Amino acid sequence: MFGRKKPLWGEKPPLSSGYDAVIIGGGLHGLATAYFLAARHNMKNIAVIEKRYIGFGGAGRNTAIVRANQRTQENLPLYKEGLELWPVLTKELDFNLMFYNCGNLNLAHSEAALKAMRLQTASAQFHGIDIRLVDRKECKELIPCLDISDRPRYPVYGGMFHPAGGIVRHDAVVWGLAKGAAKHGVHIHQGTQVTAINTDKGRITSVDTDKGKINTPRVLNAAGAYSAALSWHMLGIKLPISVLTIQAMVTQPLKPLLDHVVSSGMYHCYANQTLKGEIATGAHMDPWPNYTNQNSAHYIKHQAEALGEFLPCLRGVKFMRCWAGLADMTPDMAPIIDGNDPFQGYYTDCGWGYFGFKSSIVTGKYMAEYMASGQCPDMLKPFNMRRFENHRLMGETAALVNYSPDN
Amino acid sequence: MSLTITCPLCGNRNGYEFRFGGEDKGPRPGDTEMSDPKIWCDYVHMNECKAGIQKEWWCHKDGCGTWFCINRDTLKNNQRSREGDSEI
Ligand SMILES: Cc1cc2nc3c(=O)[nH]c(=O)nc-3n(C[C@H](O)[C@H](O)[C@H](O)COP(=O)(O)OP(=O)(O)OC[C@H]3O[C@@H](n4cnc5c(N)ncnc54)[C@H](O)[C@@H]3O)c2cc1C
Ligand SMILES: [Zn+2]
Repeated sequence: MFGRKKPLWGEKPPLSSGYDAVIIGGGLHGLATAYFLAARHNMKNIAVIEKRYIGFGGAGRNTAIVRANQRTQENLPLYKEGLELWPVLTKELDFNLMFYNCGNLNLAHSEAALKAMRLQTASAQFHGIDIRLVDRKECKELIPCLDISDRPRYPVYGGMFHPAGGIVRHDAVVWGLAKGAAKHGVHIHQGTQVTAINTDKGRITSVDTDKGKINTPRVLNAAGAYSAALSWHMLGIKLPISVLTIQAMVTQPLKPLLDHVVSSGMYHCYANQTLKGEIATGAHMDPWPNYTNQNSAHYIKHQAEALGEFLPCLRGVKFMRCWAGLADMTPDMAPIIDGNDPFQGYYTDCGWGYFGFKSSIVTGKYMAEYMASGQCPDMLKPFNMRRFENHRLMGETAALVNYSPDN
Repeated sequence: MSLTITCPLCGNRNGYEFRFGGEDKGPRPGDTEMSDPKIWCDYVHMNECKAGIQKEWWCHKDGCGTWFCINRDTLKNNQRSREGDSEI
């Protein structure tokens, strides 16, 4: 990528005047869909249009956690298959995605939280997902530096351990997918912005970009945080989305001390130790919509306090870097996946909030099937847009939280 | 980034004292209209998600409890007096 070396995804392709499919957004979902369209459905004439550079959005900013311990019947099978795909994709792309299945431990700080986890564990086990409830002593065995005494403001009551989850190198996924897609003939146009989507008699006909017009019968809106503004602005379709900034950070590198991803809803915090030794941590979302991508002193303080409470050995450790990205949140914390409605050839894959990394590969796989055949695969059917009108929201949140304006 | 909001009663305060109350969607539809799922859904869930200045509702929850509307630039996270006006 530097000096005279070519980018992994080839030299800058020419912008054709027509493509079989145009994908708006060079994020995880856009690139995954493009890859599977070209690799599995033999559609070679595809463009990914990215206004900045691939991975600029949530794709390059997330904390790379993958898991399949969701709550609802609709979500569980999708994430289960998503988790199983990492090793498969590593082989298929011939690219080291650094899947590290260290397991996720969710802490419960009350009887009520344990009860909710009991239900969640049973639902996940019903789908054959590797997950179990653990008591306070087992939490300590998994994470020796965890404070399980009565000293913290919210003492640990137990938890839910999901050994199959872990982390995957998110940049590697972006690069691997881009390389794989380009190898199959996909054109990746960076620094190109889609400015309009054109329709005629209820069908998609073309998109306008700042580099020229592209004729196409199929468009995928995979613009991440900008998907809702784009949908309203370009097609007059409002989406039930709120765009919130979500922040993350890493500490200075430390000796190995944390073998699993640990998270606490009560402290509103999750953490894991990277292979470099840093503690990567995050969770906070701004409680009001904004597109700023900025960190706040309020949150840095919150994060330091929360970590110092349940992992007291981290007190005094320094944060080294912090960053933020945007999350497109829906009221039921499930995505919006739809197609051919209200325009033939228009597809939507957005509303991924802070769970769009773990779902990217599997959704791309099914989205490609959807776009190639025009038929919605069963796996994606529950996520259609009409569910809001039909009052069929999914209960992905265990408890009402304070960070979405909808709750 | 930090945000301050001017409450009509208490003046300029830290944004964390307030609760965001959604985009301004005009008057609440009447009860008969609200029984239409489409209208109800539009009013309750649908957003423009404007990247720019939008009119929206806030409540001074940790203060006087007043609900009021402001214009705010979602790209810069600061309050504006009116659409097109400079920062206040
Ligand atoms: C701090 C943080 C932590 C997170 N942690 C996790 C995690 O641990 N696990 C997990 O599963 N998820 C996590 N997420 C969420 C995850 O990163 C997102 O859900 C995911 O990146 C969404 O993918 P996407 O492809 O839909 O959008 P993005 O990756 O955001 O891609 C959208 C792209 O569209 C481009 N675009 C927008 N408008 C246009 C236009 N008009 N023309 C052309 N291009 C356009 C943007 O530049 C952007 O590159 C986290 C997110 C953040 C911010
Ligand atoms: Zn007030």
